[in-house]
Amino acid sequence: MFEMSIAFRHINSHRRQTLFSVISVALSVAIIIVSISMLNGFMENIIDSTVENQAHTTVFPKENEDEIYLYHGLEDYLTQQEGVLAVSCYYQGEAALQYRHNVEGIVLSGIIPENEDRVLNMEKDIIAGKLESLVIPGNNIILGSKLAQNLEVDIGDTVTAQVPGTSPTDFKITGIIRTGTPADETSAYGNLRRVQDLYNSGDIITGIGIRISDIYSAEMLANTIDRQTDYDAVSWIELNSEILTLINTQKQFVVIFYIMIFAISGFSIANILSMIVMEKVGEIGMLLAMGTTRRSILCIFLLEACILGMIGVLVGCVIGYIFCLVIVSITIPVPPEMYFGLDHLPLLITPQNFIIAGSFSMIINLIAGIQPARKASKMDPVEAIHSV
Amino acid sequence: MSDKKKIKIRDLTKIYGDGVEVRALDGVDLDIEKGEFIAIIGPSGSGKSTLLNMIGILDTPTSGTILLDGVDVTTASQKQRSKIRNQKLGFIFQYHHLLPDFNAVENVMMPLLINGIKKSKAKKIACEMLEEVGLYDRANHRPNQLSGGQNQRVAIARALANNPDIVIGDEPTGNLDSKASDIIYDLLRKLNKEHDQTFILVTHDERMADKTDRIIRLVDGKIVENSKVE
Repeated sequence: MFEMSIAFRHINSHRRQTLFSVISVALSVAIIIVSISMLNGFMENIIDSTVENQAHTTVFPKENEDEIYLYHGLEDYLTQQEGVLAVSCYYQGEAALQYRHNVEGIVLSGIIPENEDRVLNMEKDIIAGKLESLVIPGNNIILGSKLAQNLEVDIGDTVTAQVPGTSPTDFKITGIIRTGTPADETSAYGNLRRVQDLYNSGDIITGIGIRISDIYSAEMLANTIDRQTDYDAVSWIELNSEILTLINTQKQFVVIFYIMIFAISGFSIANILSMIVMEKVGEIGMLLAMGTTRRSILCIFLLEACILGMIGVLVGCVIGYIFCLVIVSITIPVPPEMYFGLDHLPLLITPQNFIIAGSFSMIINLIAGIQPARKASKMDPVEAIHSV
Repeated sequence: MSDKKKIKIRDLTKIYGDGVEVRALDGVDLDIEKGEFIAIIGPSGSGKSTLLNMIGILDTPTSGTILLDGVDVTTASQKQRSKIRNQKLGFIFQYHHLLPDFNAVENVMMPLLINGIKKSKAKKIACEMLEEVGLYDRANHRPNQLSGGQNQRVAIARALANNPDIVIGDEPTGNLDSKASDIIYDLLRKLNKEHDQTFILVTHDERMADKTDRIIRLVDGKIVENSKVE
């Protein structure tokens, strides 16, 4: 294929100029690979921490009711649903917690620790004390780390819980939990039976948390439960719709920047090709005189755009990968309050990032090559030959 | 008789310009026999190059017909014109227009590759052609490593690579000194005799024109002389 060899020779004869356009394509690809990896890593991290610290689907009381009565039947029904790994019933109420002069408003959850651990992997977040301390319905309590800090308490201290309409009750701190979420500032956990007693509620609960195998089927499960029972089931996706929408909106904005970055590298390809076309006017005229079809001329210059683009993309992928590895290895710290509790830039390096950045770049480079290639193919051979 | 006439031009007219009309060719009739070695001469702007571009189907006339082997090429499609140019015509211009990024043999191979001939066969033919123009030993030299005369000889080898019926030369010696011009002229004449190909040359050089078979003199787009050289 003579078109290919002409295209290669043209590029080879403009090494310095082509080097610059290859660098610009490579850098744009590398930047976008790093950017996609960051965004995906960020999203995955947010989802992970959300999903890890929240039930995948939560069942709340029926409409106009505050509690779930006779919940054992519902618990059995939920356990039998497809994909359900664990269910955990809890009673949640508001309370005030006092230690000496410090008072904090809290959300007190009564749980069955082994079930709650299966749904939320609580055990791994316990930084002091033991989760099993809540197995027996005694006056034991586990506090969120921030809450403990604010109350200036530690394991073994006794705090006083005040629930409206009841007399104050002392609880012994038997554990501290840190999930890395804002819940650490307001959450406290006790034994389910003990908390029910505290609220004088009898054997009722306020919600059931469910863990499932495929987190993205949470919405479907919630819909099924909604349909088949009168209870209100909400998936983690619905509960966190705000943050997920925020990330998706951010993704759309980022795409605009990607297109702009690629356009810049596309212009550098268009620039070098225009230069080659201008320089090779006589040559193009002679090729036409020798019987080269206009299509072949078009093909020669599009091939040049492809070759330049391809080299740029390959180099860009390598640079992008190295950038990613460097960023992962140095762990750039970021302020957690701004990044939903993340304290470093997470990167998710997947082959898709490279494929997306590479293919987008190739498409834009080809589009950039069309104009100069068309210009070359439309030349008048007589004018072209005599222009030299 | 008409079959033997390789080129038959009838009432060929080319008008350039919008607004101010310039008649580059004005009702030209011309028959050229196979194997002829013809010079088209005339002052600047007389229409010689225009006539040559028409015969080489690089340009289209405003009116009139050009029959190559009985086929009217003025109405041919772009693709057909490319094919005819590649297979039936060879071009030599004042400037050699060799591809600077390719060496001599690769340049000569180019029309063969465009014609779809395999690389190995194309190389063999190209080497033979270079041998014929006396540049086989320079086969691997690039145009910038060859002299003006040598480059023009490579351009001749390239023009003849596809064994065309008609070779068109637009001032092929215009850039060369008289010694190099003579070498090129003798080479063209030798090839014309050996291959029985039609050569049509546009030239300013009356001395060279006198060495051809026939002289066509154009003035203001009209043929004013069409005479055999004695």
